[in-house]
Amino acid sequence: MTYALICLPFLVVAVVFAVVAARALPPGQRHRRWAATGLAGVLLLVLTAVFDSAMIAAGLFAYADGTRLGPTVGLAPIEDFAYPIAAVLLVPAVWTLAHRRGGRRANGED
Amino acid sequence: MTGLAYLAGLLLSIGAMALIDARWRLAFWKSPGASAAALGAGTALLLLWDLVGIGFGVFFRGDSPWATGLVLAPELPVEEPIFLAFLCYLSLIAVLGIERMLRRDAGSDARPGGSASATDATSKPGGRHP
Repeated sequence: MTYALICLPFLVVAVVFAVVAARALPPGQRHRRWAATGLAGVLLLVLTAVFDSAMIAAGLFAYADGTRLGPTVGLAPIEDFAYPIAAVLLVPAVWTLAHRRGGRRANGED
Repeated sequence: MTGLAYLAGLLLSIGAMALIDARWRLAFWKSPGASAAALGAGTALLLLWDLVGIGFGVFFRGDSPWATGLVLAPELPVEEPIFLAFLCYLSLIAVLGIERMLRRDAGSDARPGGSASATDATSKPGGRHP
């Protein structure tokens, strides 16, 4: 349970950034952003299932007993999937906010 | 020597991502400042997340033959921030790349035969709000 609770605030931060960034986009682009986020999210979840399992199998890191909810995909604990979800929400959001801010002077493409 | 395998794999993957970025001018090759800010913020947040997890004893460094064994802090391998930066870069390229593909589809619907230039075509009307 500990691990899941740790993930929660970080996911909230990522969601907030994603919503704020999407609202800064005009409606057509906003729709496209959510669609792209969903598709990229699925891709990242699949990659995480494969590579997180590989990294755990390679002994790069390990988990303490009693801190996880239990379910895994391959070897990857489900909590680990919060990382790619947060990344796919947060990183493009920060990019969009910074890009639009910077592009306001230079007449811009998107 | 196998201790460098993980690190080398990460750097190679980041390099491959940069090639995609350069080829389609998605992130750093379009808006370097915004890309640096996004990767910096993403990596910092995920690193903080890691540190909280380590602090609560959720995960710890394994004893892998593929890792250098060097640590930045207790249980935090030097490879970790590089992995997190890679994850952030991958996320950014995936979203911006898929967005570009969706835009191209929309563009070619609107203008038959114009798919090759749809990337630029879509940046005009409505592409930007004051």
